[in-house]
Amino acid sequence: MFSKILIANRGEIAVRIMKTCRRMGIGSVAVYSDADARSLHVEEADETVLIGPAPAAQSYLSMDKIINAALLTHCEAVHPGYGFLSENPVFCRKVEEAGLAFIGPGHEAISALGDKIAAKKLAEAAGVPIVPGCSRPVGDLADALSVADQVGYPVILKPSAGGGGKGMRVVSARDEMAQALSSSRSEAMKAFGDDRVFIERFVVKPRHVEVQVLADRFGAALYMPERECSIQRRHQKVIEESPSVAVDPELRVRMGEAAAALARQAGYENAGTVEYILDAQKNFYFLEMNTRLQVEHPVTEMVTGLDLVELQIRIAAGERLKLAQEDIPCRGWAIEARVCAEDPERNFLPSSGLITRYSEPWGKDVRVDSGVRAGSRVGVHYDSMLAKVICRGNTRKDALRALTNALNAYHIEGFATNAIYVNAIINHPVFIAGDLSTSFIAECMEDPAGRPEPRQSHLDAMALAAVLTFHNRQAMVRMSLKPMQAHVGASHKLQKEFAYMLRDSEGAAYNVRVSPETVALRTWTARVNEREYRVVTPEFEFYRRRLRLTIDAEIRRFLIRAVDNFYWVSFLGATRTFEIYSPREWELLPVMPASQKHEDEGVLSSPMPGLVVDVLVKPGDRVFRGQDLVIMESMKMESGVSSPCDGEVEAVLVKPGQAVETGDVLVRFAG
Amino acid sequence: MGIVEGKIKNLAEREAKIREMGGKKAVEKQHEGGKLSARERLNLLFDPGTFRELDLFVTHRCVNFGMEKIDIPADGVVTGHGLVDGRPVFAYSQDFTSRGGSLGEMHAKKIVKVMDMALKAGAPLVGMNDSGGARIQEGVDALSGYGKIFYRNSLASGVIPQISAIMGPTAGGAVYSPAMTDFIFMVKKSSYMCITGPNVIKAVTGEEITAEALGGAATHNEKSGVAQFACDSDAEAILDIRTLLSYLPANNMEDPPFVAPTDDPGRIEPALDSIVPDNPNVPYDMKEVIRAIVDDGVFFEPHKLYAKNIIVGFSRLGGRVIGIIASQPGVMGGCLDINASDKATRFIRFCDAFNIPMLTIADVPGYLPGSDQEWGGIIRHGAKLLWCYSEATVPKLLLITRKDYGGSYLAMCAKDLGADYAVAWPTAEIAVMGAAGAANIIHAKEIAAAADPAAKRAEKIAEYEGLFSNPYVAASRGYIDAVIRPSDTRPRLVEALNAFAGKRELRPPKKHGNIPV
Repeated sequence: MFSKILIANRGEIAVRIMKTCRRMGIGSVAVYSDADARSLHVEEADETVLIGPAPAAQSYLSMDKIINAALLTHCEAVHPGYGFLSENPVFCRKVEEAGLAFIGPGHEAISALGDKIAAKKLAEAAGVPIVPGCSRPVGDLADALSVADQVGYPVILKPSAGGGGKGMRVVSARDEMAQALSSSRSEAMKAFGDDRVFIERFVVKPRHVEVQVLADRFGAALYMPERECSIQRRHQKVIEESPSVAVDPELRVRMGEAAAALARQAGYENAGTVEYILDAQKNFYFLEMNTRLQVEHPVTEMVTGLDLVELQIRIAAGERLKLAQEDIPCRGWAIEARVCAEDPERNFLPSSGLITRYSEPWGKDVRVDSGVRAGSRVGVHYDSMLAKVICRGNTRKDALRALTNALNAYHIEGFATNAIYVNAIINHPVFIAGDLSTSFIAECMEDPAGRPEPRQSHLDAMALAAVLTFHNRQAMVRMSLKPMQAHVGASHKLQKEFAYMLRDSEGAAYNVRVSPETVALRTWTARVNEREYRVVTPEFEFYRRRLRLTIDAEIRRFLIRAVDNFYWVSFLGATRTFEIYSPREWELLPVMPASQKHEDEGVLSSPMPGLVVDVLVKPGDRVFRGQDLVIMESMKMESGVSSPCDGEVEAVLVKPGQAVETGDVLVRFAG
Repeated sequence: MGIVEGKIKNLAEREAKIREMGGKKAVEKQHEGGKLSARERLNLLFDPGTFRELDLFVTHRCVNFGMEKIDIPADGVVTGHGLVDGRPVFAYSQDFTSRGGSLGEMHAKKIVKVMDMALKAGAPLVGMNDSGGARIQEGVDALSGYGKIFYRNSLASGVIPQISAIMGPTAGGAVYSPAMTDFIFMVKKSSYMCITGPNVIKAVTGEEITAEALGGAATHNEKSGVAQFACDSDAEAILDIRTLLSYLPANNMEDPPFVAPTDDPGRIEPALDSIVPDNPNVPYDMKEVIRAIVDDGVFFEPHKLYAKNIIVGFSRLGGRVIGIIASQPGVMGGCLDINASDKATRFIRFCDAFNIPMLTIADVPGYLPGSDQEWGGIIRHGAKLLWCYSEATVPKLLLITRKDYGGSYLAMCAKDLGADYAVAWPTAEIAVMGAAGAANIIHAKEIAAAADPAAKRAEKIAEYEGLFSNPYVAASRGYIDAVIRPSDTRPRLVEALNAFAGKRELRPPKKHGNIPV
């Protein structure tokens, strides 16, 4: 066994690998860039080596620096994690040439499986189903029809030079072929200057299901219960679970055996993942094989009780797999949510800053793999994923409930994250029903028609949470003035009922009346628009910004933030901002000018932290609403920042190459 | 109808007539302008059903220019008292719908009466201003009215909190009474304050400017510092006034209200251990430090938009009200300049007058250099800070987070100016100046003579840094009481505040000092 391992990665995966190292009595060495000097993975490591400035190309992607660090610290092996250099055959070879063990497959396997065509051939040879289709471009219409007949409808026409969906056509029946073929060809010609087109089976409502395999150098190859990762946004997985609702025991064995066969065929060693697409008829087709530890490996660990990193290390150290296929259990259900520094309110732009408050949920069958803590600074240089929250339950329903509670208890403050968004996904009726596909987010989250309206009782509960917090805060102030009241002789009768009027961010109005039932003021009778509830409040701890209420004997958990009389409440993934008024204020409200808090003040401010790449306007230019004025780069992505209004540019306050923070003024308009 | 019954009915009729103010139409016009009527404002300020009006039947005595025929309901101002969160507060509210809320002899008398009452009762006074100015028909009587109000503003200052809301035009003499009170709330777009209006300015100097640009809420909150709060509406201003009152004692003989904390006084805040960046030239947001330390992260900030290089505001620490004065390294490096000194001085003196303990948080590189600062009188403005910290007798806590150099070290409540409890983070640098500057001066000749001046300079800077860029030299002399882990800041400050809650400090008797204003 190794005595010391270098982890060529950062963030949560580096921390996670170190945990296993510590348990196994193996020393760990972290590498880090300037930007990560104070990060958690550096703190958790036994030894650390600085490998360069913040840009990944000069640090985490710099092979020689990493290998030198490993040699300098007398490591015996390198764990690449995921991303960065994990699937780079050159790095793998260089590590091996330096006399170190690479914790992963050999570079030949990485090369072979990294090449789409070679991988497909390997899969075919191993008997893994691939999407039916024709491996040559089709000729004329008659040829296309005969190929399509063989493949079976519906089919998809794909330009051979293609990308980005251009020229793709779905053909669901014979008589559509002529039209589709000619338009596909002309579009492909226009876009790529190449009108060759392939035909493939079109998979309707595909699910993304994958199988984790483990293979040792002695030819043993085992497979784990499948993971379903259909919930993806722009090809980024968001929620993963194991097992999959779509897979029965018989299919599980078939998918698993196929994956293991592929591993054997490829001469694969160590952990890998075979990704499939699965159609509604339970046909599965090979997509690709990932030659590394996956982000979502914890769901497999939760249901099998295995430590995949430990097995990876043992395999790399030349040990034999001591497990047999029958030894791998599938106990209950595990679901994982990825928490990322991105703002769902701003089209998932990356957010950054200092984590001012942080607390993780804990408990039996709750696991958090995190690369951050309170005080961590999240920048724009690397991946936006901060942590993964994984929960296990005996059934999928239990696991979902546990994950909802865990996400409610996951407190991260300082910048926007997607935590509430992922909570909304797992509370979506379609998700709960398990009716998943890779288009779930587009159809059920991004399309307003797919988004369910929160139930009235849930909205009422949220309004109650806001009112009771507001009321109790006010009551504390009144209490603080009590000594004075006694001094002047309190004139005030004991008030039995308190009335408030609320308006939520969707424009709905609520008439809320609360009356304390007991002297201890913990039990309340509450009416929301004349619907009655009985509520038990806890001892308020306003600092925590989390609230647990018992409403009609059910425990409900809320997240709450307040500014003056504006209360932001989140419950089961739904969020509302309530404005709370006394009945008198409410009466006068129509007379008051609307709050100007969100008014644009004649400036374009930066929607995200990042680097200004280009400024497209100069003072004096007339611009229109929606026109891109500045191009910014953030998280290696360039995006345009568009004008909030029609007007004339008065001043440009930034230069290309300048770093800006969220809210910094980029352009000022005249008038 | 019996005689008594008729008399009672007559009272009700008289009251109803006057309470209509300038009439339905005038009130509607007020509403159209996004403004509330004088009575609606008072109703929002006080707890339901607690407002009691005084002097409803007062009328003016002017007989010039046909004024004897003109009836001004309540003479254009509503005065009275009531409860705010159960505590007595006195208030007046000018009624723009009745002759433009113009101030005449009797109007002023009503205000004077309610001020006298507030002063006798030891209760806060809130004035809501919405007036066209002096009632010119009344001539010198109106002027005399203003004078009487100013006199009482001065008398009451430091005895009871005086709060002004500007909810309409306020020009000429009318601006001075608010200016003499402790806090001014302005409503955006519907209020302005100026000594001479746009018309006079145009006639005298030819300058053309709108009332909003000349003296609107934005102008006085950002440029002049005359007002401390800019609110979106009358209702928001009134809500903010109630919030402000919740931090204040009713008078200078009381302690500020204590709220039993729901936030753990022993809360450790790990984020503070990494809030100060490694590079001393990189700023951070001091408000994050404040929010991490105080109860529930709640911080109520006057002068939010003025002299942003220093932060002042009210908060609670372990349930006790505290006034915070903090450098903001995110704006101009957190340096002190004329405006920052002015802003902080006013706040410190308010806290001291009303028994509110103070916490000063220093990360200050020095005073802002430059001829405009010197010509503007930074010497006397800066001296005000030293003066008022020395003058203050409330408990004074000091936290040094990073830079604390030279004169500004003293100006941010150093131990020698009477800080009762001074703590520093390990990142603190307490020195006469930054290492680079100091090395250049001390070793000027040596650096110039060296074969490689740059290397020599770097060496000397490092030497100075090693000696002074830390809190330990100051700690070794006892200039600070403890060096603490940033994450422990909240418990340490709560303990210190509790320890000094009983502080009593006596000063030599004198009429008053002479602050270098």
